[in-house]
Amino acid sequence: MPLGRLGALLLLAPTLLLMLLIFVGPIGWFLSAALGELGSLSEIWEEAVATLGSRTILAAILNTNWIAFLVTLVVLALGYPLAYALTRAKGLAFTAILVCILLPYFTSVIVRTYAWMVLLGRNGLINQALLGLGVIQQPLELMYNRTGVIIGMTYVLLPYMILTLYSAMKAVDPRLLQAAEGMGASPFEVFRKVFFPLTLHGVVAGALIVFILGVGFFITPALMGGPGDIMIAMLIEREIELTQNWPVAALMTLVLLAVTLSLYAVYHRFSAERPGLAA
Amino acid sequence: MPRDSGPATTPAILLEGLTKRYGAETVVADVNLDIAPGEFLTLLGPSGSGKTTTLSMLAGFVLPDAGRVVLAGRDVSKAPPRARGLGMVFQNYAIFPHLDVFENVAFPLRVQRKPQKEVETRVWDALQMVKLTGFEKRYARQLSGGQQQRVALARAIVAHPPVVLMDEPLGALDKNLRYHMQVEIKEIQRRLGTTMVYVTHDQEEALTMSDRIAIMNHGRIAQLGPPREVYEKPENAFVARFLGEANLLAAKPAAGGAVTAKGAPLEAGSGALGAEGGFLFVRPEKVTLSAGAAPAGPNRLSGTIRHASFLGNVVRYAVELGEPEPLLVDAANAAGAAIFGPGETVTASWDAGDCRLLAG
Amino acid sequence: MSGLILPRRTLLAAGLAMPFVKTAAAQAGEVIIRNPGGVYDDVMRKYVYDPFTQATGIKVTAVAATAAKLLAMFRANNVELDVIDAGDSILEQLRRQNALAPLDYGNWRWTKPDDIPAEVRLPTRAANMLYGSVLAYSKEAFPDGRHPKSWAEFWDATKFPGPRSLADMATGNPYLEFALLADGVPKDKLYPIDIDRAFRAMGRIRPQIRKFWDTGALSAQMMADKEVVLAGLWNGRVQVLMDRGAPLGIEWNENMIEVQAVGIFKDAKNVAGGQKLIDFMLQPEAQAGYCRDLTYGPTNKQAFALLPAEQLTRMPGSPASADKGFYKNIAWWEDNRDRVNRQWSRWILG
Repeated sequence: MPLGRLGALLLLAPTLLLMLLIFVGPIGWFLSAALGELGSLSEIWEEAVATLGSRTILAAILNTNWIAFLVTLVVLALGYPLAYALTRAKGLAFTAILVCILLPYFTSVIVRTYAWMVLLGRNGLINQALLGLGVIQQPLELMYNRTGVIIGMTYVLLPYMILTLYSAMKAVDPRLLQAAEGMGASPFEVFRKVFFPLTLHGVVAGALIVFILGVGFFITPALMGGPGDIMIAMLIEREIELTQNWPVAALMTLVLLAVTLSLYAVYHRFSAERPGLAA
Repeated sequence: MPRDSGPATTPAILLEGLTKRYGAETVVADVNLDIAPGEFLTLLGPSGSGKTTTLSMLAGFVLPDAGRVVLAGRDVSKAPPRARGLGMVFQNYAIFPHLDVFENVAFPLRVQRKPQKEVETRVWDALQMVKLTGFEKRYARQLSGGQQQRVALARAIVAHPPVVLMDEPLGALDKNLRYHMQVEIKEIQRRLGTTMVYVTHDQEEALTMSDRIAIMNHGRIAQLGPPREVYEKPENAFVARFLGEANLLAAKPAAGGAVTAKGAPLEAGSGALGAEGGFLFVRPEKVTLSAGAAPAGPNRLSGTIRHASFLGNVVRYAVELGEPEPLLVDAANAAGAAIFGPGETVTASWDAGDCRLLAG
Repeated sequence: MSGLILPRRTLLAAGLAMPFVKTAAAQAGEVIIRNPGGVYDDVMRKYVYDPFTQATGIKVTAVAATAAKLLAMFRANNVELDVIDAGDSILEQLRRQNALAPLDYGNWRWTKPDDIPAEVRLPTRAANMLYGSVLAYSKEAFPDGRHPKSWAEFWDATKFPGPRSLADMATGNPYLEFALLADGVPKDKLYPIDIDRAFRAMGRIRPQIRKFWDTGALSAQMMADKEVVLAGLWNGRVQVLMDRGAPLGIEWNENMIEVQAVGIFKDAKNVAGGQKLIDFMLQPEAQAGYCRDLTYGPTNKQAFALLPAEQLTRMPGSPASADKGFYKNIAWWEDNRDRVNRQWSRWILG
C-alpha cells in the first residue's frame, strides 16, 4: 500500500531527521571538513592511497579485525549460557545476574582497569593464588598482552551479547521445545535442532553488535594491551589528538565505517535469506 | 467398536489411579482409563476439568503424583516424553518456524536417525495423507491455519506411532474447516489403525469422532461411554447438561414412580431418583407437541407456548408448564409439520424409553 | 599531575561539538582556565585560584580539555575559555595557529618578569613550573645503590634484568631522547633527533618493555604494583609513591626537563582577567606553594629561596638537579611529531 507507506514515512520523518542530524551529521561534517583540507579529489585520492596502502594501516586493520573476532567468539561462548541462565532465573536471582551483567556500566574505564591490575597483574590475586597453590611456577602474563585485551573487551562487551540473546531466547515459544521433546528429541537435540536455530538470529545480531563495537575500541586495548596490540581506532585517536592530522584520521575512519557497514550488509542479507526466522 | 471386538487384548493405554495436585488443588483425581488399540477416545470437559493435565501426564510432560501410565503393557509413569513413542498434535500446532514443511514433518524421523531415503518416502506419504503435497518448501508463516493444522497432523503420524495424542487440535479453525478436518482425522485414524486420545471442549466434535467419550469434571471422569450412551443415558445432571440441550424437570418420588413439582405423573424407562428427589431428564428432540390440552397419563403435560424460535431444520419451542423451568422442545421442520404460535395451548409428551430419572 | 595530554577518555565527537561551559565567561568577574585536572587542580585552587579571587574579586573556574578540543574550539571560532594551563607542546601548537594573545609583561603587579628565565618567558606563554622525565627504579630489585645510573645502563638488560616501561606515542612524546642517550649520543647533540637511529635503539629495549604507558597514572601504578622494576616517567608521579613509603628511587642523571606553561586565547572573553591571573600565579609565594605540593620545579628564581634545600634536590630545573639534565626541545617535537607518530606505528606493528 503506497499510501500507507508514505503515511508511515511522514510519521517517522521528524525522528529520522533528528537521527540524521545527530548521528550522520557530525560524521559527515567531520569527513568533509577533514578531507576538504586536502583540496581536490585527486589529492584526496593520492593521500588515501598513501595512507591506506601503508603496511602500518593494513597491519592495524588486520589486528583490529582479528581482535574483534576473537572477542566476539569469547563473548558468545560466555554470553550464551549466561543469557540462558537469565531466561530461567526468577525474582532475586534474576536481579542478581542482571546487576552483575550491567556492573561494567556503573564503573569508569579507569576504575575498572585498576581493578583488572589488582586481579590480573604479575603480582595480582590470580597469579598469587595459582603460585600459592603450586599450579604454576612463573606468574602468568594476563595483561599487557593480547590476553589482557581480550579479557578487558570481553568484560565490557558481554552485556550487549547477553541482552541481545536474552530477548531472542525469551521470544522462543516454550511449547515448541515441549513439542520437540514429545516427538522424541533428547534434551541436546531439542537444543541443537530447535532452541539454538530459533535463537540464531540473536546470536548473529549479538555477534554483529559486539564485533562492530569491538572494532571501534581504543581505550581498553590501550590500557590492557601490550606494545603490539594496536587497533585502528587508537591510530585515529592519535591522529586527532597528537598531530591534528584530520585528513588521515578521516580516511581511517572511512575504513572503519566501511568494515562496519559491510558487516551490516552481510547480516541484512543473512536475515533476509531465511524466511523461517521471524523478521 | 474395537474394544468390543475379539478377545481381551493388552490395552494400548492404561491409566490407573492417575492423580495430580498443584499445591492444595487436585487437578486430576484418581483417573482410571483402559483404551484399546485402535480406539478413538475423547477427553471432553469444560476448561479446568483436568483433561489437558491428564493428556500431559500421558505424554510425559507432567509427572503424576500418584497412579500409573502403562503403554502397551509397559509402565512409563516416570519415563520422559521421548521414551514413550507417541505422536502429538498441539493446540497451537507448534510448527517449528525455522523449518520448512518438509523438515517439520520429518522431525520425528530425524531424531530417530532414519536414513534419508526412508525420511523422504514417509514424509511424502504423510503429506499425501493430509493432502499437502507441493507445500514442502513453505514455512509456517506462509501457511493458512488449516494448512498448519495439516502439517501438525502429518508430523504426528509420520513415524507411525501406535498412539497419537491431540490437544484441542481444531480449536482455532472456523466451523466449516473444523468439520472437514474432523472427517479427515477420523479417516486417517481408521486407515492407520492408530489409537487416538483426543482432548476437546466441543461436545459436537466429541460426539462425531469418538468411539468413547470420557467426560471430565473437577478432575474426575464424570462418565465414560460411547457417544450415544453418554448422550442419551447421562448418569448425572452435569453430563446431561454438558452434552447438548437437556430438559431437567424437577421430580420427586411418589407411589409407584415419580411426579413433577406440581404433581403430574412421570414414567421413565431407566434411572432412579435420590431420596431427596431429583430430575427427569429428556432431550428436547424427544418431546412431541400436539394441539390442545392433555388427556391424563404419565409423561403428558399441558402448557402454553411462550415463544418459538426458527432454527432452520428445527423449530425450538419454550413451553410454559407451570413447573419451575419451561420445557424446551425441538420439532423437526418436516413437511406438513404443525407450527404453533405463542400463547397456544399444547400438550408435550414423550416415551418412557426416551427419558431417565437422575438423582439430584 | 603534569599531563601533557589528558587521560584519553574524551570521545572524539563529543570533543568537537559540545560547548562545555555555561556562557558565564561573558561576565567580567570570571576567568575560565583549562588545567590538567585532578590533584593539580586542587593544588592550584589552594595556592592560586582562591587567593586570586580574594585579592581581585575575580572568580576562577577550571575546566578540562584536550589539545584537540582546544584547537577545534579555536578553529570553530568558538573559544569558551580564557587561560590555558598545559604542557608547552599544546601552547606551542596554539601559538603556531596564531591563537594566543601576547602576555602583558609590562603591566605585571605581583611578579617581576625578570625573575622568570627568558628561555621560558615567551611573548605568548610563560612557564609556571618545570617537571622532569626521570629514570625510576625499584629499590627491592636494585638495592644499595646498584641501580642503573644512566639510560645506557637502563638499556642494559643483562646487567639490570627485569620488566620496564617507557612513554607511549599516545603521550605525544615517546622517549626518543633517552634512546639516543643510551646509544651514545651526548646530551647537547640530541636535537635534531635522528629518528631512525632512535628507533633502532628503541628496538633493542622493546623486548624488556612490559607496556608503554600512555597516562601518568598508569606509569605510577605499574611501578607501585611491581609490574615493572624500571621506568622512565614524570618525576612527580614517582615522588608521590616515594612519599607514601614505596621502595622506589629516582636517578636524576640525564633527566629531561619539560615545561608547563600558561597562555591566553586572543579571542577570549576575559583577556584582561587572564593577564591578571597569570601575573598572580607566577609570583614567588604562589609558585613555592604549588611546587612544594606537586614536587615540580618553580620558574620564578625568587621561589627557590622560599623552599627547603632538601626539597630543591627533588625539583626539576632547580640549581641542585639542573646540570644533570637537559631541556626538551618542544619546537623540534612540534615540527616532527607527525613523522615520529607514523614511524612509531610502523615500528610497533612491524
